[in-house]
Amino acid sequence: MTSRRRLSKTVGQVLFWILIAVIFVYLIFPFYWALISALKTQSELIRTPATYFPENPTLQNFRAVFQNTAFLRGLGNSLIVAGSVTVLSLVVGAFAGFALGKLRFRGRTPSLYVILAMTMFPQIAVLAGLYAVIRTLGMPALPSLVLSYMIFTLPFTVWVLTAFFKGLPTTLLQAAQVDGASTMQTFVQILLPLTAPALVTTGLLAFIQAWNEYLFALTFTSIAPTARTVPVAIALFSGQISREQPFGEIMAAAIVVTIPLIALVLFFQNRIVEGLTAGAVKG
Amino acid sequence: MTKESRALQPAKSRGPSKLARGEERTALWLLLPSFLIIAVVALYPFGRVVLSSFTDERFAAGTDLRGEFVGVVNYQRLLSMTLRQVPAVVDVDTGERVLRDGQPTFENPRLFLRRLGTSLPLDAVATFRIGGNLWVLGATSASFIRSVWDTLVFTVSSVAIETVLGMIIALTLAAKFLGRGVMRAAMLVPWAIITVVSARIWEWMLQPTRAGFFNTLLNDLGVTDGSYAFFQTAALQVPAMVAIDVWKTTPFMALLLLAGLSTIPGELYEAAEVDGASPIRRFFSITLPLLMPTLAVALIFRTLDALRVFDLFQVVYGEARYSMASYAYYQLIAARNVGMSSAASVIIFVIIFAFALFYIRALGVDRDE
Amino acid sequence: MRIVLLSLSLAVALALGSAVAQTVTVAGGAVGQELELTRAAADRYMQENPGVTVEVLEVPDLADNRLGLYLQFFEAQSSEVDVYQIDVIWPGDLAVHFVDLYDYGARDVADQHFPAIVENNTVDGRLIGIPWFTDAGLLYYRTDLLEEYGFDGPPETWAELTEMAQTIQDGERAAGQSDFWGFVWQGNAYEGLTTNALEWIASNEGGSIISPDGVITVNNSNAVEITDLAASWVGTISPPGVTGFGEEDARNMWQAGNAAFMRNWPYAYSLGQQDGSAVAGNFDVRPLPAGDTMGGEPAATLGGWQLGVSRYSNNPELAADVALFLASYDEQKVRAVEGSLNPTIMALYEDADVLEAVPFFGSLFDVFTNAVARPSTATAPNYAQVSSAFYTAIHSVLTGQEDAETALALLEIDLEALTGFPTGTP
Repeated sequence: MTSRRRLSKTVGQVLFWILIAVIFVYLIFPFYWALISALKTQSELIRTPATYFPENPTLQNFRAVFQNTAFLRGLGNSLIVAGSVTVLSLVVGAFAGFALGKLRFRGRTPSLYVILAMTMFPQIAVLAGLYAVIRTLGMPALPSLVLSYMIFTLPFTVWVLTAFFKGLPTTLLQAAQVDGASTMQTFVQILLPLTAPALVTTGLLAFIQAWNEYLFALTFTSIAPTARTVPVAIALFSGQISREQPFGEIMAAAIVVTIPLIALVLFFQNRIVEGLTAGAVKG
Repeated sequence: MTKESRALQPAKSRGPSKLARGEERTALWLLLPSFLIIAVVALYPFGRVVLSSFTDERFAAGTDLRGEFVGVVNYQRLLSMTLRQVPAVVDVDTGERVLRDGQPTFENPRLFLRRLGTSLPLDAVATFRIGGNLWVLGATSASFIRSVWDTLVFTVSSVAIETVLGMIIALTLAAKFLGRGVMRAAMLVPWAIITVVSARIWEWMLQPTRAGFFNTLLNDLGVTDGSYAFFQTAALQVPAMVAIDVWKTTPFMALLLLAGLSTIPGELYEAAEVDGASPIRRFFSITLPLLMPTLAVALIFRTLDALRVFDLFQVVYGEARYSMASYAYYQLIAARNVGMSSAASVIIFVIIFAFALFYIRALGVDRDE
Repeated sequence: MRIVLLSLSLAVALALGSAVAQTVTVAGGAVGQELELTRAAADRYMQENPGVTVEVLEVPDLADNRLGLYLQFFEAQSSEVDVYQIDVIWPGDLAVHFVDLYDYGARDVADQHFPAIVENNTVDGRLIGIPWFTDAGLLYYRTDLLEEYGFDGPPETWAELTEMAQTIQDGERAAGQSDFWGFVWQGNAYEGLTTNALEWIASNEGGSIISPDGVITVNNSNAVEITDLAASWVGTISPPGVTGFGEEDARNMWQAGNAAFMRNWPYAYSLGQQDGSAVAGNFDVRPLPAGDTMGGEPAATLGGWQLGVSRYSNNPELAADVALFLASYDEQKVRAVEGSLNPTIMALYEDADVLEAVPFFGSLFDVFTNAVARPSTATAPNYAQVSSAFYTAIHSVLTGQEDAETALALLEIDLEALTGFPTGTP
């Protein structure tokens, strides 16, 4: 290796690490800012110029958040809603994905399009109509949220799972059928376990989307305050006095709700890429 | 659950001889739950919205006032536009154009439009000069037309930037280096933060005083005087939304692309390297073509998502600047104008539909196998 | 009438069984202390009236979210909530959903309250809500800085305020306070700007946008003059970002010690006096300045909350009794003493206990008697759009897109199309 090549390799290395650093700061900095804002006292929070590190870090805001029953209830509700949404969209999505990806039947392509067309419905466009449906059915707030979140989780789930099933060798299905297994048995016992990576990925995506949703949650839980999910609880955070907005507490709450999600994502990190690799990319 | 377990029945009794028909029936049973859900949460509600877009229905109007059929009036109000030449200011005595600094002066375009005496007052969406003349685009719902334009600009720029940035991040993270796990985790942080909350965080960082991060930093760097009003500068309002959205959703793009990258066999690169192909060449001749299907999926989902943007605009601007969806929300909740809101929603749907069709055609997503 | 209704509600009570009929749900009091006060009041009612359960439904603190919630109940004609806490701008819009409290005994107590609020809450002769507590725009000023710069007292007119703010700002900047501004207020394009701009215009004898009898008065030279003055503040004595300020943005700057004057609601008073506030002990409040026109008087936009009884209530008689109890002299006194909430009953501004607990209330009496109501009742059900057109027009002047003369001429045309009202002078 000539020294010139070695030099250019070193320069490349340095540039690479600078790039990494820039990306890292870009991604993390707002989260850092939220964190230090949550750790600042009220007076430091509004001081000019802003401080880059909290001078007297205090856990006061976090303490307040954990004493806020509406927020804690919101966490619970969000867990219930996002969990149910995940399960429901995986079950329904796996059925549809299997049918669309592996079975031959008339109307396959139109069916896929109908499901995908759901992605096109702006949430705002169905808000008023959906609210009427929920009222007519007399659904309580939490189940109504689970049902309405299907509008954005189901298309993606079906899309990814369809691609995934399509990618599984058809011989598997045929071999099982030759052995006398019914289509459904093959599906449940042989194909479904193979889709685990895709299920993890889509499940996580559905969970995050449901966890983040704001418009439906705001509208459908307003009559039932005990059913409010976390984004609504945070948005409606209020201070001791009307009009006061405790920004430090809002930031503390933001940190608190983000950490479980990050943990979840970290835990499934490799699975996510794996699942997407095998599935979505073959769309 | 009962529906699903019933779905199992027909398949079990089927013999291999009737395989094809059995398969068809199984497929339909399997699809039934999806279609039921679609009918309840999308088709029926949207049908209602389409119907009410032809009425003057008001939300919570009380028992005595029900919406009546008004035809396409709501659509007319939203979409009526006109292009006019703004008259120059003419001196009453000499009959000549009044010049200021050597330039002709014109009437105020907005007043000119209002004084046309149309049944619904026109407001200016935009003005532009052609030759020595001033033209104005007028509309009966200028804020809606502007919201459509803003949303399109927002969508195109944020999706474009996200794709490029997402590609850079994905390519970087595809390399093996110490701390790759940490980087991949960091990548998911913005995406895991609730949209409403991330809007608040950025709002706080972009405050118009030095209580905010950016004003403090830019002031330390000597760029601003520490009181730059990011969100109040009209030209920066949409770019600010793009910046937040890019931060928030680039990780999603990068994740998808990273997944796509890992499917490309390493031997291809090794072979190309042996042939002496430069990294840039390798990117365009190997990576990009093989990444196309992934890119197509990512682009579709991101574009349709961006066109529906609501939370960001609503939290940061409220009624100061609309996206299409937040305009429809304003009409529904604040103005309680169900008819207008529904018509706006239908128009949003049509625009999104047009985009989807375009993608399907252009990227060939619908090709089977 | 009352007897008929009473026997009717008794019949309903018997028919539905006491468990249903004897529960009254009050939607109101979202926030910490306010909520506790409402709960305590509900407990007192229940002690006096055994057999009745009063429940308090927590509602969102932000008025827009609260309205969204109420509209859902109304759209469903739900009997779930009997008594609603309603904003001062809603009676006109929501009148159809409420009973006339005059039919339920409010006639005897209505004249204890500020007439401006009662008038605001009266739609076609029906009393939609009984005033509960009120709010009005105030001028906050730094006593220490006024003294330091040799001013005898707070400004009487907007022109004086402009001048004093400039002097103090220049001085503080020269002393190294580079983030210091003269005057902060609410300039974002939202309802808060309507309240601010209405104060400027009304104090300059420019009318109240649309008069109570339905005449569009906003396009006049006094209104143009004061709006141009306000626009001149942006970037001079007020930060350029003030056109994006809400109440909390203004308060944060003020409380960090970065402003000489602030326009805000009374809520900022107790927060500003808390420990850790940079301005604690160094500020006071007074009515907002007046315009410079002959006879210009300070004006404060009326805010605050009323209690209305839902038309869909299963037991309006009992619900009205609860509402009138909550808004009574004794209850308003408790809220004033313990929660610094401004009473709507005039006599309470002379009550020794109240004045001892909240000394600055005494100076507010004139503010409330002269408070200007937004034209919400006259323009119902279009007030939201009227206000939106108004603050959009003002905002375009503040951001320099239009001059005030053009903007108000445009606004006049828009309001004509929206309401169908004639135009005139204030």
